[in-house]
Amino acid sequence: MHRPLPRRRAHDGRRVTHDTDVLVIGAGPAGALAAWEAKRAAPELDVVLLERDARVGTPVRCAEGVGDAGLREFADPDGAPWAARKITRVVFVAPDDTEVKVAERDVGWILDRTQFDAFLAERAVALGAELLVSTEAAGMTCEPDGRWRVRLRGAGGGGETTCRARVVIGTDGVEAMVGRWAGLETRVPARDMESCAQYVVEGIDFDPDAIYLQFGAGIAPGGYAWLFPKSPGVANVGLGLVALKADARNARQYLDEWIARRYPRGAKRTCTVGGVIAHTTIRQTYTDGVLVAGDAAHMINPLSGGGIVNAMKAGRLAGRVATGAIRDGDTSAHRLSAYHAEWMAQLGDDHLKYYRLKRALEDLDDQFFNSLARTANRIPAEKRTLGRIFAHALVRHPQLIPVAARFFM
Amino acid sequence: MLDAPDGDGYRLRMRPAPTCPEIAVVDLQVCDRCGLCLPLCPPEAIHLELTDLVVDRTTCTGCRKCIAPCPVGALTMVAA
Repeated sequence: MHRPLPRRRAHDGRRVTHDTDVLVIGAGPAGALAAWEAKRAAPELDVVLLERDARVGTPVRCAEGVGDAGLREFADPDGAPWAARKITRVVFVAPDDTEVKVAERDVGWILDRTQFDAFLAERAVALGAELLVSTEAAGMTCEPDGRWRVRLRGAGGGGETTCRARVVIGTDGVEAMVGRWAGLETRVPARDMESCAQYVVEGIDFDPDAIYLQFGAGIAPGGYAWLFPKSPGVANVGLGLVALKADARNARQYLDEWIARRYPRGAKRTCTVGGVIAHTTIRQTYTDGVLVAGDAAHMINPLSGGGIVNAMKAGRLAGRVATGAIRDGDTSAHRLSAYHAEWMAQLGDDHLKYYRLKRALEDLDDQFFNSLARTANRIPAEKRTLGRIFAHALVRHPQLIPVAARFFM
Repeated sequence: MLDAPDGDGYRLRMRPAPTCPEIAVVDLQVCDRCGLCLPLCPPEAIHLELTDLVVDRTTCTGCRKCIAPCPVGALTMVAA
């Protein structure tokens, strides 16, 4: 059975040892939900949430788009300060600039991640989780009693401290050091890594209720370029590409060229870059006393590159499984494997399907997408849903049939 | 490279001889610390510290898998 830890902090020279039940490393959406759910499910346990940066939510390495239904499972976006813009339309842009407006209702939201991530972390803190900012994990080792000893470093250079935890939840994003330290396989094949760059662009003309997605081998090979509105005239404009399919230019150079062509009068503000892992969930997301969630476990929709809702669902699940295991006094890999099984049933198995679809779509060229756009535009605008576009496309473009078959296989 | 300007020889003491002709180095003026290159590195030779991206020159095998995907071109190859 679980015995509460002593609350004292042992001072050992300049080193301080801090014991906790659950240590969550990385305060993004996955980590905040893990900490929140752990405190909600087991208020008597100690939960510590680590953030390397000085403020939760910055810097933003994200296009900030999220689906409506998935978001509402965790928070109400109506009137929330962290919801920058409601999106009701999707515009697909073919490589030859033919636009296809898709009619869907309540598509999603563009978030303000600086505020959204802080909001999620504050909710965990309100339940009693301890948030440590400007603190990074530098390494960890497993002790004979099964607990993990994690070395912590502060930004101030005040020496290392140590935190011992019964369960470590790694929500440290694409770099995934927790998984690496725990011996999990977190490496990514180059063809499944999307290199992304994005500017906030001001003073441009677009439909502020729509997101725009453009495909094309010369625009964003292996990925797509996007415009996500933040307010009228201001948008996140970025792209992701697979470097193996690109010429010698990097993602930022591709983006500069795309913006110069599409939005020549736009004023480019802050540039951010990052990686999106368009792969499937890592083979094993758990080991003795460790769970990994979110980008760190490659829990991203490999077709869209979306990961926020996935991360929140996985983080919540990790928090729940971790606290149940601690209460029962069994944090072994065998016990924690319930997390992996539940994640695969919820979304992981769907990602395997989306991944097969992604690989099948890679074989289609720009000419195909140009002609698909013209087919779609023959459907009356008010009836032009994704489902109808897909049905029409299957009839008129037989090369899509094997693609569809691979999805359902 | 980041050798001591006064050439006091710490490079020789601190850095064992690398095992390949070329290794990756990062230009910290250009690097945005996004972490994209970490999971791409087959021998896991790259890690991030609070302010710096670090390529371990004894672990890097010179495979170049991190070079092209860097969104800002901060990684380049140099003679080991």
